[in-house]
Amino acid sequence: MTGRVRDLALHLLDRQVVDTEGKAVGNVDDVELVVPEDGSPPYVVAILTGPQALARRLGGLLGQWLGFWSHALSRPDSSEPGRIPMELVTDIDTQITVARTRQELGVHRNEDRARQYLILRIPGARHARQ
Amino acid sequence: MKGLLKVFLGVLTAIGGFVDIGDLVANAVVGARFGLSLAWVLVAGVVGICLFADMSGRVAAVTGRGTFDLVRERLGPRAGLANLVASTFVTFLTLAAEIGGVALAFELATSVSYLLFVPLVAFLVWFVIWRMPFEKMEQAFGLAGLCLLAFAVALWQLGPDWGELFRQASHPSVPDGEGHPTYWFYAISLFGAAMTPYEVFFFSSGAVEEGWTRKDLKTERLNVYVGFPLGGVLSLAIAATSALVLLPQGIEVDHLDQVALPTVLALGKIGLAVLIVGFVAATFGAALETALSTGYSLAQYLGWQWGKRTAPKDAARFHAVVLVAVVLGAMLVLTTLDPVKVTEYSLVFSAIALPLTYFPILVVANDPEYMAESANGRVVNALATGYLVLLTVVALAAIPLMIATKAGQ
Repeated sequence: MTGRVRDLALHLLDRQVVDTEGKAVGNVDDVELVVPEDGSPPYVVAILTGPQALARRLGGLLGQWLGFWSHALSRPDSSEPGRIPMELVTDIDTQITVARTRQELGVHRNEDRARQYLILRIPGARHARQ
Repeated sequence: MKGLLKVFLGVLTAIGGFVDIGDLVANAVVGARFGLSLAWVLVAGVVGICLFADMSGRVAAVTGRGTFDLVRERLGPRAGLANLVASTFVTFLTLAAEIGGVALAFELATSVSYLLFVPLVAFLVWFVIWRMPFEKMEQAFGLAGLCLLAFAVALWQLGPDWGELFRQASHPSVPDGEGHPTYWFYAISLFGAAMTPYEVFFFSSGAVEEGWTRKDLKTERLNVYVGFPLGGVLSLAIAATSALVLLPQGIEVDHLDQVALPTVLALGKIGLAVLIVGFVAATFGAALETALSTGYSLAQYLGWQWGKRTAPKDAARFHAVVLVAVVLGAMLVLTTLDPVKVTEYSLVFSAIALPLTYFPILVVANDPEYMAESANGRVVNALATGYLVLLTVVALAAIPLMIATKAGQ
């Protein structure tokens, strides 16, 4: 996974992440960086996604406000942002492709809850209309 | 015929922008008070929205990305969030107004108070979004919305002095008894309505829903250059009929029945019947456009799965947002807030959203990484930059003018 050199702000942050089926996983709301002690350039080890990650990156009052709400609305076991290790990233283009499905990544708790508690209770939720 | 059916994304988008409930009334008000002296604003609005809708549609066809996706990526999370809050608020207020607007059109047909229709209308709006395939939806409401062409037929029947109408339109001046600030307030309202941000959110996301690719760029252009000019023509016809009939009589417009009055005069009961179908279709279409746009922009900012291509269970948060927006919208109208006034005041919020929406579109439409050979040409860039300056001026002037004129009273 070494050797992929990109402008972080321009080519990674805020881009759409999609899974193997082309379904949206989330945005790159923040990244986890490692700064090597030997002075070589820092590199990205993971993509962080979800409102908690976005809140931290925004900072300030806006970040606190978003953090408060995302914390209040999520269950205690899901207060950490979704984390996708860079090993899973197969392509960095106008969107970021990862080699797992949304379910396997497990970064989708809010989507799962909206589905379970609201959408699946309405008739016709399982059928796409083309 | 098949080729013709493909232009209804553009037609429906334009109907939602140019002849939704607020604009149906605003166009008639403008005609009754200013004649055709504001026609030039509509022309400027049509050119502007064509320019930027074409860019957003082109980006969507080439990259498969909706406009708000680009807003977040190019403006960053902070300015993107400011735009999201402002434009979602405008779009939501408009949604509430359109739910009321459909109900008002039913009231015009049945004389039963519109408030009784609001829950039914809200349910139908949600149901269409939940169940109806995207293309069927745009064709049904776009086609029925064409009934508003009755305004153009009525204009013809009224047998106006075309030379005089053209003179009014080409030599704009502020009529006696109207102040300059009021004139400019209405100019900004019409321009803002023509270029409301939810049009590009809906158009670009609709292009993705329909699965347009680079091969569909011709269809994309056809949609833009048929749809938006048609919206402009409908607006002009409304203003012209009311300039011919209502202006000389000094009739003031604040309800849908006064908007219909000139057409009833020219075409009788049949005219009214056709017009009511048009009112229902246009306001319902605008309700669909704004409800979906609320979901599109939020989902694209946050990177959720969105749209009607997948089963609702695979875009759960998107469908949850649309459902909540429709329910809240209906509740807002049930407080007996005047739907027409609501759209007038939403102008203040669209002022912030206008430049923050169109700037990122222009940037990405020029980005070779995304667009390759489909990037903007020089003429388009020059024009678009001019419009961005204009939009910024409009954004800055909107709020002071609104306060100074008490929203055009």
